[in-house]
Amino acid sequence: MHMADALISPVVGGAMWAATAGVAAYSIKKVQTEMDEKKIPLMGVMGAFIFASQMINFTIPATGSSGHIGGGLILAILLGPYAGFLTIASVLAIQALFFADGGLLAYGCNVFNMGFFSCFIAYPLIYKVLMKKEYSTTRIFLASVLTAVIGLQLGAFGVVLETLFSGKTELPFGTFVLLMQPIHLAIGVVEGLVTAAIATYIWNARPEIMEKASSGETIGNISIKKVVAGLVAAAVVTGAGLSWFASSNPDGLEWAMIKTAGTAELEATGGLHQQLSDLQSKTAFLPDYSFKASEEEPEPSGGEGEEAWPAVDGGTSTSGLVGGSLTLILAALVGGGISLMKRRKYRINS
Amino acid sequence: MSHHKLEAKNLHFNYPDGHNAVKGMSFSIHHGESVGIIGANGAGKSTLLMLLMGVLFPNQGEVCVGDVQVTKKTLPMIRQRLGMVFQDPDDQLFMNTVYDDVAFGPRNYKLNEKEVEKRVLNALEVVGILHLKDRAPFKLSGGEKRAAAIASVLSMQPDILVMDEPTAALDPKSRRRVMELLRSFKHTKIVTSHDLDMIYEMCDRTIVIKNGEIAADGVTSEILVNAELMDACGLEVPLALQNCPVCGSKK
Amino acid sequence: MANIADSIYNMRLLDDLARQETLIHKLHPLVKLLTTVSYLTVVVSFGRYEVAGLLPLFFYPVMVLALAELPLKPILLRILLVSPFIIGIGILNPVFDQQTFELAGKEFSRGWVTFLSILLKSGLTVTAALLLIATTGMDRLAGALRILKVPRIFVLQLLLTYRYISVLMEEVARTLRAYSLRAPKQKGVHRSAWGSLAGQLLLRTFDRAQRIYEAMCLRGFAGEYHSGEINKISGWDWAYLGGWVAFFVLARMYNIPLLIGSLLTGVIR
Repeated sequence: MHMADALISPVVGGAMWAATAGVAAYSIKKVQTEMDEKKIPLMGVMGAFIFASQMINFTIPATGSSGHIGGGLILAILLGPYAGFLTIASVLAIQALFFADGGLLAYGCNVFNMGFFSCFIAYPLIYKVLMKKEYSTTRIFLASVLTAVIGLQLGAFGVVLETLFSGKTELPFGTFVLLMQPIHLAIGVVEGLVTAAIATYIWNARPEIMEKASSGETIGNISIKKVVAGLVAAAVVTGAGLSWFASSNPDGLEWAMIKTAGTAELEATGGLHQQLSDLQSKTAFLPDYSFKASEEEPEPSGGEGEEAWPAVDGGTSTSGLVGGSLTLILAALVGGGISLMKRRKYRINS
Repeated sequence: MSHHKLEAKNLHFNYPDGHNAVKGMSFSIHHGESVGIIGANGAGKSTLLMLLMGVLFPNQGEVCVGDVQVTKKTLPMIRQRLGMVFQDPDDQLFMNTVYDDVAFGPRNYKLNEKEVEKRVLNALEVVGILHLKDRAPFKLSGGEKRAAAIASVLSMQPDILVMDEPTAALDPKSRRRVMELLRSFKHTKIVTSHDLDMIYEMCDRTIVIKNGEIAADGVTSEILVNAELMDACGLEVPLALQNCPVCGSKK
Repeated sequence: MANIADSIYNMRLLDDLARQETLIHKLHPLVKLLTTVSYLTVVVSFGRYEVAGLLPLFFYPVMVLALAELPLKPILLRILLVSPFIIGIGILNPVFDQQTFELAGKEFSRGWVTFLSILLKSGLTVTAALLLIATTGMDRLAGALRILKVPRIFVLQLLLTYRYISVLMEEVARTLRAYSLRAPKQKGVHRSAWGSLAGQLLLRTFDRAQRIYEAMCLRGFAGEYHSGEINKISGWDWAYLGGWVAFFVLARMYNIPLLIGSLLTGVIR
């Protein structure tokens, strides 16, 4: 459920980046003050372990298929929420950079969806509570499956919201939710079962590892309060961002709500876009340049929120096609030219 | 040069699970000595090294480097003098370039970047892998990794080098190169290994460990030929000293 | 990330590429990071219906690819492998957006335009991220993060994760090989071995972390990580950043292909 750059708008990406950076900064402070520095190499190597363990295909009984784990929950269980969150963050950074799994702008969304919900919501509120009394195999199984399922459901819902607020797809809210949530229910059950199997094994073989992870890291009332405060702050940041872009489009937020109900459409860069299109139409110097064709649509400032459809009449479309092809050819020529020159230089040198 | 002396006085160590790994070891190693520590699997070699390095602390007895006892307080100073090369170079080379790895120690001692560079280049030159300085550790061969691991310790300019299985998992040529390299060092050397031929060639003195105790401590050429002692300690006379497998004659 | 060998190969390839010494590679890592981020922001800021306006942004990856002497094939391959998630979500656009428009005398659903827009953006953003790492490398990128005041702990931990991926992947590969050799005809790991197989690997990982920690301590590690000095940002670096940002902004403000096209078709008429 990696979000890709192509699916988000800068505002959503930025807001989620801010929220993630806040949670990460808090976690780093916690790791620094509460834990011994021994945890740093452990976090590093555990991150690598998550990569490696994603290569293991676990056969799912009675289905004939197999799946792998995401690893968020096992990290929270073995490292505690703060170190677990940071470890997931670095795993996602490397996935974004090297494997194109999730993008750099969407990085905040991804860390939030996959790290925050499992480490700071599902883990303390479900796993910790269920495991408070005693450790037993049944309890570990129950707690793991529940925590994984809820963590992933929240994460999947995060994906839905972020995508819809970005407005790059036409998927209605209901359809999207119906698509995402059941898939992640299945994924969550598998994640929970495998995590439980691993946790049980560790608990039997080296109980001190699990005890160490849970001790000294009690998410007491204070921490929960801080987490909630962080959430509120994130919500404020997000809201501020949304209202900023909605400010030149008064009905923006309201219309985003309608959109989620499946009736209206979302405009991602309303204000900016409108200003730019104004600028464009003012500076238009070609008779054929028909940006104003968008007048046939309801004016963006009219509050409808329908994104300007830039090229409606045939003439502009043809101009677009010709110009577009030319641009691409030009780009290819420049690139090819540079490569050719470089190669020649090598030949001369050698 | 008394400060190069390494002394273990009546060391005892129990693991938390109750396993009594070291039972009363005493020895002292002088400047410039080259000492092999040998013993069967589980005899207590690794635990002993950890105690010498101050990674573990003895339940009883003490380790002294020079005239300083190894305690939590003196560790930073002790560790500048003692350099340890791990058995698996992958554990020791944790940075993403050879240069950064070799620079890790000096940078921790807050040397300025110019001095760090001087030390790094010098250490890499000594082990002969200067050309690999910008490589990532995972791109190195086994022998190159070992050389890099040794350089990462040399850059700290230790007086005493401690090595855990320096020739493990090396091909014969790489093994020979590492041995030549180690022989060229003037440092005090402590080497644990199952490669008894290497110990025979490299170390003047050998300590044999059996079940957490010192079974023998003396001149290598006398200890390693003692078939009875070696057998009793789960070891064997080095191949180079055994009968020729073809003609049966003694070497 | 289906295959262990592929993943390791991919990481090594990017690492190799990053160790070249071209014009682009020599640029300051922070400048490259900032350029990439501004590029991504501009690409992503385009609305759903804009396709032509995105095209000038092809210049950036093309120029960097050529100047950095990177091979085209592995990068293109990566883009093709792009997460099915994008296509899965995007392909529904034509279904949900039934409004039509005319092009060259034919009617198309607007959904196809938004789908195309998503695909283009996906290709451009994925390429930009790969180009960043392929011309900078993880260690220098970490240096850039340090300049941006990202805490040491996080940077060190990120570097450690990167460093040990190949070590642990090989370990997992060996374990899986040993498993499959004794369990033919099984597609994955059987339920009875879930806990023990992954758990053993995990315990070994813990032990390795312990040894690494010892190795760090023995060389004076005390919770602080000291990176080396990074060169100052030169005038040329600033010029590179400024030049590209100016171009991105220009491309965002003016629909360049449309202008060119209009000019051309206008002249013909």
